[in-house]
Amino acid sequence: MYSLIVFLPLIGFLVAGAVALFGAAATVPAPEGGHDAHGHHDDHHAAHAEHDDHAHGDHDDHHHAVEPAAPGSRVAELVTTGLLFVSAILSWVAFISVGFGEHETQSIKVLTWITSGAMQIDWAFRVDTLTVVMLVVVNTVSSLVHLYSIGYMAEDPDRPRFFAYLSLFTFAMLMLVTADNLVQMFFGWEGVGLASYLLIGFWYKKPSASAAAIKAFVVNRVGDFGFMLGIFGIFVMFGTISLTDIFANVATVEGKTLHFLWGDWDAITVICLLLFMGACGKSAQFLLHTWLPDAMEGPTPVSALIHAATMVTAGVFMVARLSPLFDLSPTALTVVTLVGAVTAFFAATVGLVQNDIKRVIAYSTCSQLGYMFVALGVGAYGAGVFHLFTHAFFKALLFLGAGSVIMASHHEQDMRSMGGLRNKIPLTFWAMTLGTLAITGVGIPGTEIGFAGFLSKDAIIESAFAGHNPMSGFAAVLLVIAAGFTSFYSWRLVFLTFFGASRAPKDVYDHAKESPLVVLIPLGVLSLGAVLAGMVFYGHYVGEEQAEFWKGSLFYGPENHILHAMHEVSFLVKVSPFLAMLVGLAVAYWFYIVNPALPKKLAAALPGLYKFLLNKWYFDELYDLIFVRPAFAIGRLFWKTGDGAIIDGLGPNGVAARVQDVTARVVRLQTGYVYHYAFAMVIGVAALITWAMFAGGQ
Amino acid sequence: MTAFPDFALAGPELLLAAGALLLLLIGAYGSEKRSSLVSGLSVLLLLVAAVAVVIGRDGSTFGGAFVVDGFARFLKVLVLIGSAVAVVMTQRFAVAEKFFHFELPVLIVLATIGMLLMISAGDLIAVYLGLELQSLALYVVASFHRDDGRSTEAGLKYFVLGALSSGMLLYGASLIYGFTGHVDFAGIAAAAAAGGSTSLGLTFGIVFVATGIAFKVSAVPFHMWTPDVYEGAPTPVTAFFAAAPKIAAMALFVRVVMEALGPVKAEWQQIVAFMSLASMILGAFAAIGQRNIKRLMAYSSIGHMGYALVGLAAGSEAGIYGILIYLATYLAMTAGAFAVILSMRRDGAMTEDIESLAGLSRTNPTVAYLLGIIMFSLAGIPPFAGFFGKYFVFAAAINAGLYWLAVIGILSSVVGAYYYLRIVKIMFLDEPKGAFEPMGGEMKAVLGISGLFVAAFALVLGPLGDAALAAARTLF
Amino acid sequence: MDELLRDYLPVIIFLGVALAIGLALLVSPFLLAFKNPDPEKLSAYECGFNAFDDARMKFDVRFYLVSILFVIFDLEVAFLFPWAVAFKDVGVFGFWSMMVFLGVLTIGFAYEWKKGALEWD
Repeated sequence: MYSLIVFLPLIGFLVAGAVALFGAAATVPAPEGGHDAHGHHDDHHAAHAEHDDHAHGDHDDHHHAVEPAAPGSRVAELVTTGLLFVSAILSWVAFISVGFGEHETQSIKVLTWITSGAMQIDWAFRVDTLTVVMLVVVNTVSSLVHLYSIGYMAEDPDRPRFFAYLSLFTFAMLMLVTADNLVQMFFGWEGVGLASYLLIGFWYKKPSASAAAIKAFVVNRVGDFGFMLGIFGIFVMFGTISLTDIFANVATVEGKTLHFLWGDWDAITVICLLLFMGACGKSAQFLLHTWLPDAMEGPTPVSALIHAATMVTAGVFMVARLSPLFDLSPTALTVVTLVGAVTAFFAATVGLVQNDIKRVIAYSTCSQLGYMFVALGVGAYGAGVFHLFTHAFFKALLFLGAGSVIMASHHEQDMRSMGGLRNKIPLTFWAMTLGTLAITGVGIPGTEIGFAGFLSKDAIIESAFAGHNPMSGFAAVLLVIAAGFTSFYSWRLVFLTFFGASRAPKDVYDHAKESPLVVLIPLGVLSLGAVLAGMVFYGHYVGEEQAEFWKGSLFYGPENHILHAMHEVSFLVKVSPFLAMLVGLAVAYWFYIVNPALPKKLAAALPGLYKFLLNKWYFDELYDLIFVRPAFAIGRLFWKTGDGAIIDGLGPNGVAARVQDVTARVVRLQTGYVYHYAFAMVIGVAALITWAMFAGGQ
Repeated sequence: MTAFPDFALAGPELLLAAGALLLLLIGAYGSEKRSSLVSGLSVLLLLVAAVAVVIGRDGSTFGGAFVVDGFARFLKVLVLIGSAVAVVMTQRFAVAEKFFHFELPVLIVLATIGMLLMISAGDLIAVYLGLELQSLALYVVASFHRDDGRSTEAGLKYFVLGALSSGMLLYGASLIYGFTGHVDFAGIAAAAAAGGSTSLGLTFGIVFVATGIAFKVSAVPFHMWTPDVYEGAPTPVTAFFAAAPKIAAMALFVRVVMEALGPVKAEWQQIVAFMSLASMILGAFAAIGQRNIKRLMAYSSIGHMGYALVGLAAGSEAGIYGILIYLATYLAMTAGAFAVILSMRRDGAMTEDIESLAGLSRTNPTVAYLLGIIMFSLAGIPPFAGFFGKYFVFAAAINAGLYWLAVIGILSSVVGAYYYLRIVKIMFLDEPKGAFEPMGGEMKAVLGISGLFVAAFALVLGPLGDAALAAARTLF
Repeated sequence: MDELLRDYLPVIIFLGVALAIGLALLVSPFLLAFKNPDPEKLSAYECGFNAFDDARMKFDVRFYLVSILFVIFDLEVAFLFPWAVAFKDVGVFGFWSMMVFLGVLTIGFAYEWKKGALEWD
């Protein structure tokens, strides 16, 4: 069954990929044909005569060209979506049988992958509660996104390619979460990175999309480098990279040191920090977060699947998976807490002022990932994974809802050009509202009744208060503030989009209409999850039944009583995020419903702060200054001077030039006169005899 | 009084001689239409001779002047195939260019007899007789298109320089005879071995003999005739020149050096190594500057003979094995390349310009791919035939301690790869300049078979390698 | 050494005699002949060229054809003489060798005859 779950998406990818390839071969007329003439430009809108007066600018999210769809689009859609749904249903079966059954952790070997000296790597599925939780998250969201994409991408000519990428991503993500050893995990890790790159750059004719894809890939490389070093470190210390063997032997490594860079460090701390560096890259944590907002250049379903629900949580998953290691290093956990808290706060502040609907949600994602890391950092792994689980539902819901809004407002993503859509697209409006209620954490404090985000987020904040590491108090404060910000920007999004008067051109507003059924069904299902996921599973993830549920797949050391402690924090703590949420809601209401002119005045009154936030704390500019420009300068130096002048000059070009010189001279020897030839022969004989006389035979 | 020698051993040669005379009469007394009949019969004759060589037995006759052994048989088969292919490729071309006379195939057969004698030579007199029989026929063949100034010029140059080299060879042979008292190889070897330190006269003799033979294999610095003759001679004749005579001359070089002068290896090893080195380098560099594909093939053949001489410089069994493999692959590659060159006919006129191959991959993809394979092979790129030849000779050189020779050889083959790959580039990347006229059936066959041989050489290396190994072993 | 030189003594004598006779024949006309030149006597030979003229002139290649053919058969005769003299010693193999040689030459002769090489026009 697990093989089916993992490999069905691969089959889907192969089928859709084959369709895309054959379709491409069939539609490309000639090697020098003018395929590029069908670029992604506004002149294509000539087909939509009624919209022609409307310029779309850079935010043109949708590739609605007049090109005909690739042949076999329908087949590719149906096959991939169908297979994904089968996979999703099987995942739920697995979830129930493992999470609520009596299964021990099991390892299902598929094949022997690498045997090299002492290193033996099997391709195997590690099946435990953590795995099946991730299976459910990945496959549910992925299947719904597949379904949604049928509607959302309906006008795109390259659908087989799109669906192939989606299925490839799903397969890689499943490889990641089912990995039984670190190399296999790394394979999935890189696989999702690749799929993410391909999907962000799906509209590769748009320069900004290509640039965003490259940025995502490069920033992830930085993290992956740390991850790889971490894996190497584990192999050095443990002599294995199998998770089972590592967990069995952590005690033997505890307290040992590892020489790294210039000094000897506690081995586990070094390894955990390196691994966490990988997690930071993949989960867009502070300092390595810059790629995530840009990744919104990809199609909206991709943002929902990869950059909200699944891939970006891979880092969280990895830390949770390796909780037996992390639990032994308080230093590493402190760093995790700090980075998570700062990210949560930082991303929330930036989210306050963004105008692009997808970017707001992107920063929100970044911020929520910070919450998860704080939970991991204080040792409440269950709370972290719980938030991962609930977040997948409501964040995917928000993204897909945003996608529906974007479709309705004719591919406009700037919220300043929206407004008043509540009556036009009521179903989308309600879905978005449910999502917003979930993310802002609406519920009844002190009870277990509330939307998904309420239960999981409050659990994190409580655990942060109850945590013992040096950063946990600081983190808790930041998280509460961030909760307020979350509430503000989420409601701001809803108010700007759905309430007030329309700021869109009249014809666009008039033509705004509800999305088709294939788009609405996923919204409905996810709304269900956003409402119920918290209440239903709270007890199993972090409540009384958590030990029976996780069955040791998350590790809590003997000193780690955080899950008990978090329930015993004072009521004030429990109610604080709720209060923060109310404040955020109130401010948002005041700013955008009651007194819409106020935000502008505020921005004008505090221009420095506003600019600072709008420009995302100037991280892109900073990195440009610190890394990109010096790198360009060094590159140019090596290119022009090193490669061009020295290597090419003395190497290939120089040698080639000398060869030409020699050739010219040799050719000139060939005069065509017989007496020159004869002379050459005589000279040759004379020379050879002279040589043989003096050098030969002695 | 004297008993009759064992004629049966020389059966193939006698058969060819008698056949050539008969063909001469058929041609002279038959009508003009019989000309192509002579061609056909010549091919048949050469193939029958090849069969006779294969099924013949080993031994030596004519007082030791004529030797048949595995080495001789291997190379004789190569020479006969090369000659037969040349005759096959000659007919149509010569008729189209209006210089066909029935003497052409007959002369090729006569030259082939000379080559077979060279290969089987057991003493210096047989060497000279074989060499001259070959050369005289070749001089005539080179200038066969007598209405064409370039052709007669080629023949004249070849004759004058050939005479000079023959003189040197004779002078060297007389010195060797004078200082060892023998003309037969075994006797020379015994005398040279007994002599202890070699005399200056013998050294002189060795250098002159080596010079004479080096002229025939067109090793630097005795190569000067090659480009001019290759360019000037009618193209099918060039195809003939490039293959069979080179093989025969190389065989002669090996035999003289290994059998007669084996004991004084130190005397000739440096000379051979120098010629090899110079040929490889010059072949690689000079070919780059060529526009005419026949001239390019001339420098290519100079370079290839340089590579083959690496094996001789090694002077070991492995080296000789390498030479044999090299010559076999060289024959196939040359035949295939010339099959294309002979088909470069556009608008009723031949062209020899390399640029006229532009875009061949689009006008005639099959030919382009086959020629591409052959060019890769000539450049020595695995898994094609040319790679194996180079590999074996370089391996032998390294085992013999001639590291510098192997290293420079590999470097020069890198330079050489440039002009082979340039042809590939012109065929596949440049804009077409119009199609060639359709290839003749026999050209297709030659190109197809040689292309296949070159491409799938790794498969035939087993049996061919066994034969070559057995052949190389007979010299030790 | 002396013995070696003595072996070459007949050669030296032969050379000396040949030199003497040659010189005698060359010198004697200058001393003895009656000289009465006129233009006809000084003109070129009937088949050839002016004795004193530019060496790079055009001439008929057929002269060379004839002379080459002549040389071949001249050599054939030169080859036949020693063979005939030593006929008793060369035996059957020797006899047949010469027959083959003559046969080859005959075929060549037949060829050149058929090709018209023996006709001036």
